[in-house]
Amino acid sequence: MKRIIGLAMAATAMMATIAVAAPKTGAPAPAFTVAASDGKTYSLSDFKGKPVILEWTNDQCPFVVKHYATGNMQASQKAAKEDGAVWLTVISSAPGKQGHVSPEAANKLTADRNAVPTAVLLDESGVVGQAYAAKTTPHMYLIDEAGILRYQGGMDDKPTTKHDDVKTAKNYILAALTEWKASGTVTDAETKPYGCSIKYPD
Amino acid sequence: MNTVWKTIFGFFVLVWAAVGQAQANPVQKEYTKAELISAVAQAAPGQTFRVGLTLTPRDGWHTYWRNPGDSGMATSIAWELPAGVSASEIIWPGPDHIPYGPLVNFGYKGAVTLLVDITIAADNTATSVPLKARADWLVCEEICVPEDAELTLTLPLGQDSQANPNAAAVIARAEQRLPQAYGGQSTARVGAQTIDLTVATLPSDRKIFFFPYAENSIENATPQTVTQKGEGGDIAITRGFAKTVPDFSGVLRIDHDSGAAFYELNPVVESVAAPSAAAESSADSGITVWQAVLFAFIGGLILNLMPCVFPVLSLKALAIANKAASQPGEVRAEALVFTLGVLVSFAVLAAALLAVRAGGEAVGWGFQLQSPLVVLILAYVLFAVGLSLSGVFSLGSRLGGVGQSLAAKSGYAGAFFTGVLATVVATPCTAPFMAGAIGFALTQSAVMAVVIFLALGLGLAAPFLILGFVPALYRRLPKPGAWMDTFKQALAFPMYGAAAWLVWVLAQQAGPMGVAAALTGLLLIAFAAWAYGRAAGREGRLPLFEKALAVVAIVAALALLRVPETVTAAPTGTTAASGAWSADRVTDLRADGKPVFVNFTAAWCITCLANERMALSSPAVADALKQHGVTYLKADWTNRDPAITAALQQFGRSGVPLYVLYPADPSAAPQILPQILTEGMVIDALKDLTKP
Repeated sequence: MKRIIGLAMAATAMMATIAVAAPKTGAPAPAFTVAASDGKTYSLSDFKGKPVILEWTNDQCPFVVKHYATGNMQASQKAAKEDGAVWLTVISSAPGKQGHVSPEAANKLTADRNAVPTAVLLDESGVVGQAYAAKTTPHMYLIDEAGILRYQGGMDDKPTTKHDDVKTAKNYILAALTEWKASGTVTDAETKPYGCSIKYPD
Repeated sequence: MNTVWKTIFGFFVLVWAAVGQAQANPVQKEYTKAELISAVAQAAPGQTFRVGLTLTPRDGWHTYWRNPGDSGMATSIAWELPAGVSASEIIWPGPDHIPYGPLVNFGYKGAVTLLVDITIAADNTATSVPLKARADWLVCEEICVPEDAELTLTLPLGQDSQANPNAAAVIARAEQRLPQAYGGQSTARVGAQTIDLTVATLPSDRKIFFFPYAENSIENATPQTVTQKGEGGDIAITRGFAKTVPDFSGVLRIDHDSGAAFYELNPVVESVAAPSAAAESSADSGITVWQAVLFAFIGGLILNLMPCVFPVLSLKALAIANKAASQPGEVRAEALVFTLGVLVSFAVLAAALLAVRAGGEAVGWGFQLQSPLVVLILAYVLFAVGLSLSGVFSLGSRLGGVGQSLAAKSGYAGAFFTGVLATVVATPCTAPFMAGAIGFALTQSAVMAVVIFLALGLGLAAPFLILGFVPALYRRLPKPGAWMDTFKQALAFPMYGAAAWLVWVLAQQAGPMGVAAALTGLLLIAFAAWAYGRAAGREGRLPLFEKALAVVAIVAALALLRVPETVTAAPTGTTAASGAWSADRVTDLRADGKPVFVNFTAAWCITCLANERMALSSPAVADALKQHGVTYLKADWTNRDPAITAALQQFGRSGVPLYVLYPADPSAAPQILPQILTEGMVIDALKDLTKP
């Protein structure tokens, strides 16, 4: 028995070296409650029962511009919502930094670009972004009906600012949603997020 | 004559080239000046020479290396070259480590010259070669701007190559930054969570960083830990999310006082984790399926020693030893039935956990104890078992034979229910690293989760099972006799203790009303036991009356179960009281430059309480916390708290205890302490925190 306990202790010590920063795919997504540009406050738990897509954005980031100028992001939002998903656009830019906008400006951006997110979350403290270890704009997450994180990573597989690349790129977030709904699995569950760094508070 | 013409022609080419350069090289963009330069002023057929793309961004801006790190984009060059001329891939000077908030990028602060080798075919008879490059780069400070330029550099082609003194210095400077071949052997051991890079020679007391070529192979922002070992050393690097790391080549940067030195490493890659699909899928929780099954089994074994389980099992063991000599077959059968009882109970528990999970609730091990109802039922059961051990009454004279108590009851039903009872009383005693195994189980498919739970059950049943099948063992058990009664009575006290502890847990959950209900309920149980005990084995009207009284008391005790449920105290986990945990507080404190120690605990977690008592509440630890400026926060999971459940999940755990030490630097990885703490471990960890 002593030996077993010794083995147990060794194993415990081994496990103790595990250190994790990013949320785990397959584990519950970090909960949040945050104000949105429509004046309401949203919590992740409000959407239990529906898949939720999180899109980190910064309207002046050239990588984000690629997806909006080509209509790719708007089309993805529309397709995801038609598929029963909730689409939350998140802005984690700190006040005074690129991409930080007032609620009115956020609504105007949505209208001007014909974007159709369920809501635009204003995370100017960066708390939500850091809970998800969001790194770039865009940075995409898919959370399933039960609140489990199923995808995190890039919008697609072409990490560029070239608008033409949108046509030939593989749209990871829509692929993840479609596959999740069809089979309950996501093949590319983690990909490299690409884009501008998120302008968190200093 | 011929020579004269050639000279004149050459002169014109040079003039034309100069004009061409003026038009297309260098190009000043809004944020960056881009220029194509060549090591030769005139190239010769058959020659390979170096050209450079110099990007000079505005002050404070940067461009990117081939692996750009957490954000950004590597610079690219697309060449348009005449026949008989070819260009190599970009030869990258060693990168800078560029932190930005919680991210780290790999790139170049300020101007950089990216090198390319141009080769002229030996049979190239042209008199000049236009080198046309389309460069694309991202330039960032806080914000990022993509820029591009079409650059053309036309070089005359002659018999003899001529060096270009104007570019020599710039190219030489870039070449100094190129990674040198590394002399010694290097090895990368790729584990599920970390990559250990061992190199044969490593200078001490230098700033060292390894930049891998493969994106996503490492967590870029996590500090790399260098351990000096003789001439060489180990660099512990946190692994990124890339599923496989077949090649871990990259650049080792060593910062000397005189500047940075770069070495290219092509380490031999050794996979530490089993390369099976199962192992890969489990990289999330940091353990493989088989490790989880093994941990679960060992966890189950340890449960046998828990104060609430041990009495039940030891009596059962003695009971079977009694008849082992005469009926070995029956002993084996009983051991099997007992195992079945344990396994069925664990399967039920697993099914319950999975059902709750499927309902979308975030749950963890010990969740059953978050319900005051379950806590009180357990208190009743343990108390009743205690009373039975004390001899107040004996169960089972009707149910299953002539045993002395529930646990000592003979027959298969008795063995089966002993298994169930062992599981029930084991639940409060979360053995260390059962948390890891069950946390893992919760992230797996239903089948895998059930397998892990069954492994836990098998661990719990194993000693008894072995005892039943190895006669040599049970012959060694002491012969039953009068001493057994004394032993049995003594064992009642751990049961009372466990019941008392559960009432205390209930006090945290349901407040004074809950305690009042519990104590009244226990009183009624004691009364029922006494009345039932008096009536047992006697006939007549008085015993019948006593039995009726016992039934009434039991019904009343059960009715009281509803009380704590309705008066549940408000959760205390995330209130802003001093020392209470919240994710925001951890972030805020670290932002203020303060390290944080978080104790994830629950009143019903016995390991937690032991650690708090033995290690965390000692004056020495308090002093160390103070001395190192560490803020101690307590995340109390006694009642359900989704925020704490989520935080546990982030560390791949589904239960408490969990001890996390967050360095002040928000980009540094938090350190997880073992689940069994000693004062020394905590103090050492705190000391290490402030080491440079």
